[in-house]
Amino acid sequence: MNESKDNLKTKGAVISAKSGTKESIIGFLEKGMDKGVFDAVLISMRVPAGDSFAYVLIKDESILKDAFPLPPVMSVQGAKAVSSVTRLGKGNMKIAAIMRPCETRATVELSKLGQTDLENIILISMDCPGVLPISDFLSDPNKGMKLFDDATKKLDDKIMRPVCQICDKSSMVAGDLHIGTLGAKKDTFFIISNSKKGNELMEKLGIDLKENIDSWQAKVKNISEEKQNKRKKTHKDLKSETGGLDNLLDTFSQCINCHNCMRVCPICYCRLCYFDSDKVKRPSEDYLQRAESKGSIRFLPDTTLFQMGRMMHMSLSCVSCGACEDACPMSIPVAQIFSMIADETQGLFDYVSGRNLEEPLPLVAYKEEELQEMEDAK
Amino acid sequence: MKKDEEFMPKILAFLCNWCSYAGADLAGTSRLKYPPSILPIRVMCSSRVDPLFVIKAYLGGADGVLVAGCHPGDCHYQKGNYYTRRRFASLQKIFEDIGLESERFRLSWISASEGPRYAKVATEFTEKIKKLGKNSVKNEIFL
Amino acid sequence: MTKALKINKSTEQGILELLKFLLEKGKVKGVFTLKKISNDGAVAYSLITKPDELKDAVPLYPLMPTNAGKLLSRFTLKGSSNEPVAAVVKPCELRAFIELVKLEQGSLENLFFISSTCGGVYPLKMAADGTIEKNLSKYWDAVKKGEIPTDLRSACKGCEEFKPYTADMTVDLIGKNDIDKQCMIFLNNKKGEELTKGVKGEFLEKAIDKGKIDKFQIKRESEKKKLFDEIEAKTKGMDGLIEIFGKCIGCHGCSNVCPICYCKLCEFDSSDSEYKPSNYEIELKKRGGLRVPPGTLYYQLGRLTHVTVSCVGCGACEDVCPVDIPLSIIFKKVGESVQKMFEYVPGRDIKEEIPLITFEEEEFTEVED
Repeated sequence: MNESKDNLKTKGAVISAKSGTKESIIGFLEKGMDKGVFDAVLISMRVPAGDSFAYVLIKDESILKDAFPLPPVMSVQGAKAVSSVTRLGKGNMKIAAIMRPCETRATVELSKLGQTDLENIILISMDCPGVLPISDFLSDPNKGMKLFDDATKKLDDKIMRPVCQICDKSSMVAGDLHIGTLGAKKDTFFIISNSKKGNELMEKLGIDLKENIDSWQAKVKNISEEKQNKRKKTHKDLKSETGGLDNLLDTFSQCINCHNCMRVCPICYCRLCYFDSDKVKRPSEDYLQRAESKGSIRFLPDTTLFQMGRMMHMSLSCVSCGACEDACPMSIPVAQIFSMIADETQGLFDYVSGRNLEEPLPLVAYKEEELQEMEDAK
Repeated sequence: MKKDEEFMPKILAFLCNWCSYAGADLAGTSRLKYPPSILPIRVMCSSRVDPLFVIKAYLGGADGVLVAGCHPGDCHYQKGNYYTRRRFASLQKIFEDIGLESERFRLSWISASEGPRYAKVATEFTEKIKKLGKNSVKNEIFL
Repeated sequence: MTKALKINKSTEQGILELLKFLLEKGKVKGVFTLKKISNDGAVAYSLITKPDELKDAVPLYPLMPTNAGKLLSRFTLKGSSNEPVAAVVKPCELRAFIELVKLEQGSLENLFFISSTCGGVYPLKMAADGTIEKNLSKYWDAVKKGEIPTDLRSACKGCEEFKPYTADMTVDLIGKNDIDKQCMIFLNNKKGEELTKGVKGEFLEKAIDKGKIDKFQIKRESEKKKLFDEIEAKTKGMDGLIEIFGKCIGCHGCSNVCPICYCKLCEFDSSDSEYKPSNYEIELKKRGGLRVPPGTLYYQLGRLTHVTVSCVGCGACEDVCPVDIPLSIIFKKVGESVQKMFEYVPGRDIKEEIPLITFEEEEFTEVED
């Protein structure tokens, strides 16, 4: 997939990070607030007990210094955080939201789905080394923090979520600005603009976008290709493990229908999910009849229907973030499976979720002649 | 300390239309003095008060919440205030159990003719809240 | 004197015999019980109509994949069962179902309940990583000795309501070292007696032996006190609450699996609880910053007010929490305080009204002014 290349601008800014990348990013955001370019920042912070991270909408600049632009865990998918702020309208505050590329992409998808108004939001993404599975982090937060820092420095993703390990879009520019740490000279990082909004912001801050970003592009391409190969292989193995009815049933045999996966998914925005609605609530005769036809049914039945139904509903917008897998109490590799399916369904339409705000969702657009291999014409 | 003396609590008061609100009105027309801490909200019956209102008020930074209704047996809708009492008891028990200051909530029965009683409740409750201090929740970010 | 049915098989096998008998003789149309449903040993509740399928049933398996009370509510939500069904469930699941029937979310008609004095269940994590099988013999050793197995759900470790109140038939497992050889099914009422007429076994006049149960109660009580004291230290006051619920991601998984949370659209998912841009502006002016999505404590405290009066302490909430918040102990502890205040035990008796929809003319004078 060469989606990344289409979105990149060719020049960027080089920002000094002598005091540390995190500190410099916060400094950049503080500058933006000082100059009134934005009124608030949506960014991660460590929670009071120190055992996790949460998104905070910050208006008071003094709070910013404790922020954490790139936390080691994804407790809430950033798109959900953005959507909770502007689902009901754009409001009066200009907000800079800094998140991972998959979160930015999911925000773009939610905007297409009418679930968030991006007019007053500036989306800033950054090169992502991956994210720790939340249960690994929770078992020892301090150790987790250290492991994450080391892994980020060494670009080693063994400790990250399984879907992060095969993510080829970890530097995808989908928002207005992107912070490029890869391929940057020591103690610096790039800022790349992807939109008019991004350009305007940089102008207001007095930062020119005229530096060469070839080194970033090259490094990103390198990593992306490596990951793509890994992804192909992993998906091939996954397909043979989970493909076919028997394997599929076994994979989801432990599913308790808690619907956690659906609830943490940024794309699953329905207030009342179809699979929680009256449509799936049947009278006792129905269940007894079904039980009779097979001799025994799992109760409640239709676990596989839920999983496949969810695939049908959201795979075209799936950003492979892996929030679902973190939330599954039965450790089912949902993210890996859904991510694999999403590649295929999106590939069918040459679509990449969240790549471009102007690109319509595949199911609300059409061409007069297409998908001939699917239809049965005379 | 000067700062404490200046602390005028914000107490949200849910007053039932038929008794307590009328009682509060009477306190006003009788020119009875009581602290300007009360923010009244008229409800048709004290049983309209969902415990969630009290929680929302508390988390929103209210220093105190007063729920006032007709005396038991005198409810305009016959039984409303009996349910209020049970709901309030369980809410207070919950707050007590998790160590939140349950003294910031009060359930008072005030009838339409009890203007002086309303003023007394308002004054007493304000004093109590002043001693408890400001509700620090209004500064919390991680709610 | 209660009647009991003695079957010369292990307790689990005896129950399976009884269930087979009920299906074969057409005394019930279906049996609702835990069953191994896949090649890799996944266990889930199943509705069984064919006697042969009972070969994979494991009615006393120490796992609660979903609270059966919730499942039975779903089974009878759109109309009571018009055919007799026998359900083998744990005491807290039965109590949850009784509460749900009181809340008009299910019907008791045509349902027969077999329950046991409960040794507790393992957390879902152990089902996920396949370690329950390895621990089964350790589990039954502990139960037979009247001890609390290690690694149990914390809600189970401190559960004092391990005896079923309203089951039609009960088996006693606690401290019974003969459950491998003998199955003693106590028939608690006429329904129980009628259903078992004709089963191959010996009918005796026998009541449950309270001695071992009372001893076990003391053990559970002491565990409960430990768990409650621990959680009290962690959650005291606003600071404590902010700390312990800091990790909450608002997934609402806890309310989704809670049997008492039956609302189709939860208040905290509805537009009632949604912040408008103007709400954010006000909050930010007040606080300088606000966690988003907002309303974590509002949700947790709100859910406490909604469920504590009926909380059966099953612990499903904690098992499903992606960030390991000790929810079951928090809700159990607060639940117990509220229930004690009303002298109420949820699910003890279908005729006992839920305390918030009833009242006395004079009461709680300490609360009113």
